[in-house]
Amino acid sequence: MRPVSEPVLSLEKVSFRFPEDDRATLNEISFLVNSGERVVLSGPSGCGKSTLLYLLNRLYPANCDGIVSGSLELFGRPSDSWKPGEINRRIATVFQDPDAQFCMPTVEEELAFTLENIRIPRDEMESRITGVLELTGLEGFRNTVIQTLSGGQKQRVATACALIMHPDVLLLDEPLAHLDPHTALELVRWLDELQKQTGLTIVAVEHRLDLWNEFFDREICLGADGQLIGDRPFTPKPAIRFPERPSAIRSESAMSVESLSVRIKGQQIFAPLSFVLRAGEVAVLAGPNGSGKSSLAKALCGIYKTSGGKVHASGIGYVPQSPEFLFLTSSVRDELAFSGFASPNSIDDLTDRLRLGEIRNAHPFSVSHGQKRRVAIGAMLADNRPVIVMDEPTSGQDAGALLELFNLIEERRREGNTFLIITHDMEFAAAAADSVLLIKDGVFTGKYRAQEVWTDHALLAAHHLVPPKGANAHEPAFA
Amino acid sequence: MSRLLHEMNPSVKFLVVIVSMLTMAFFFNPWTPLLFWLGLLIVQLLLSRVNWKLWALMMLPFGLGAIGYLWTTLVFGADTGGDVIGSFLGIEVTDEQWARAWSLTFRVLSFSSLSLLFALTTDPVTFIMSLMQQLRVPPKLAYGTMVSYQFLPVLKDELVQIRQAQRLRGVDEGKHWWQRVLGMRRLLIPMLAGAVRKAERAAFAMEARGFTGEPRSEFYRPVKLGARDWALGGLFALLLTGSCVAGVMLG
Repeated sequence: MRPVSEPVLSLEKVSFRFPEDDRATLNEISFLVNSGERVVLSGPSGCGKSTLLYLLNRLYPANCDGIVSGSLELFGRPSDSWKPGEINRRIATVFQDPDAQFCMPTVEEELAFTLENIRIPRDEMESRITGVLELTGLEGFRNTVIQTLSGGQKQRVATACALIMHPDVLLLDEPLAHLDPHTALELVRWLDELQKQTGLTIVAVEHRLDLWNEFFDREICLGADGQLIGDRPFTPKPAIRFPERPSAIRSESAMSVESLSVRIKGQQIFAPLSFVLRAGEVAVLAGPNGSGKSSLAKALCGIYKTSGGKVHASGIGYVPQSPEFLFLTSSVRDELAFSGFASPNSIDDLTDRLRLGEIRNAHPFSVSHGQKRRVAIGAMLADNRPVIVMDEPTSGQDAGALLELFNLIEERRREGNTFLIITHDMEFAAAAADSVLLIKDGVFTGKYRAQEVWTDHALLAAHHLVPPKGANAHEPAFA
Repeated sequence: MSRLLHEMNPSVKFLVVIVSMLTMAFFFNPWTPLLFWLGLLIVQLLLSRVNWKLWALMMLPFGLGAIGYLWTTLVFGADTGGDVIGSFLGIEVTDEQWARAWSLTFRVLSFSSLSLLFALTTDPVTFIMSLMQQLRVPPKLAYGTMVSYQFLPVLKDELVQIRQAQRLRGVDEGKHWWQRVLGMRRLLIPMLAGAVRKAERAAFAMEARGFTGEPRSEFYRPVKLGARDWALGGLFALLLTGSCVAGVMLG
């Protein structure tokens, strides 16, 4: 451990306002971060945590003409006295989107890009690259094309690119947002090892704190108005609590699948499989990446041609991870009316039930992500598709958004709609699902009652799933 | 067979292509482009390892275009005088038209061949790095291009997803190609909305890794520029001058 001499980051009454906003995003924030600390910035969506992080690595205010007041010192020097690019070799950052952090084809070239940026002499580059690959355990990926890596591996490469600059501080901007819980846990363990080896100071922005276990020492909480509302030792967080819900399964079958199989270009995507979902049932489809989940979803709703078997249902809708992919018109109302199946009356009725009234004339691209999903579901229901397949709706969502999704499914389910949801998030599945469909390597393992799956750790592990926290809490206690 | 053309400095190769094309534009006799084209084929045959099947496939549209040029120039070409050397289907062809038609045809063939020679023997990444190192293209432009190059597969994947989702909504893509082209508009809006977000994130990630857009002095893999590149450049210059001189003499 290095002796603690002076704080690496020191903020005193720092406020920040975007030039186009009337209200400040950050309000008089003061705190110090010492060398070797592991700090997390938490708070609700839109509270300015990411803005604060961007002030620390000097992406702001230069990139947004933002107005800063107060005193912000990095390594004892006022932040605006650092030249562009100069601070980034001491304060490195890993961002959330694994697909938008790289500009070169291979891992080695990406690392070299970073070294060229900070003008490391050429003789030294080789040893730095070898060194960081060893440190991060990525030796085997040196010449791998980054685009072929999985999300978790890309985040490791992004971290290696940050560490190769030999920084003192590592900023993490929701690095787990696009990862499934299994991969996320692995990344957290890996970061823990790295921090122990290097003694780095870590400052992270995160909304899924439950995934980090005991990683952090200290938590700095921001309130909705961008003021500091807490600075305390970190305690492991429980997962989000979703409300309890009674089952709404009705007796009639909504979708019955008989020995369905799909071949694409002569290759079998998944083996013949059969299951039945009833009206009002919520099922989760889970399994490792590349196991055929998305293909099954697309085959069910008719995007992919099936090569054998039958699907009986009155209509199956599909909501992709980005709901805006479905949108074709310039207002929410037109979006629901697009196919022309539903009468104006039933569209009005649907608008009310989905609470789309206030945005009915808005452009579907301009509403919030949660509202986009409502519009997408509305469009599917207007098209007479009472069974809704959702592809990864939980990925990259914060607690508020997950609750919103939960409530949306809850409302629809009570009205007899059936859901098949692809997700890696077992906490969400435990709260929302009646049943779980497991698939692995294109082979359907089976349909299980949700409660049975959570306690079967071997079954979960075989499908790369992490049991939900407090899985047993839902079971009656033995008194 | 050697791989000399593949190893040639991409910037020098690029200049060779540009200079050759500009020079050829001033010669209207059929011999210059013909000789240059044949010369190119020989050089490519001897100094590169090109997938000739792919080459032939990519030359096909250009070949058809060349025949089109030949035909239209013969039939519709302006009467520029000269002696009538023959006629068929009631169309009289003068010797000048004849020469010009073949000149245009071979020009199309040599231009497309030259472009393919560049495309098939050059690695895009090395090309961009070389543009930055030898021709002093600003790093902002060079790495901007690199990022978009990385995004291409992601965007292609998104395009497929959007098309599938929209088909599910009952979008009729239309039977005719022009309906499908007009329909692209619907696909582009959601795709571009996503692309703008991604581009901003990528820019932030690059800046956070110390990228400032300043010209850089140290390169991990310098793209070499040596005697071999000048020799190859000389070879092309020789071929170019040779075909120009021979063309003028024969024409």
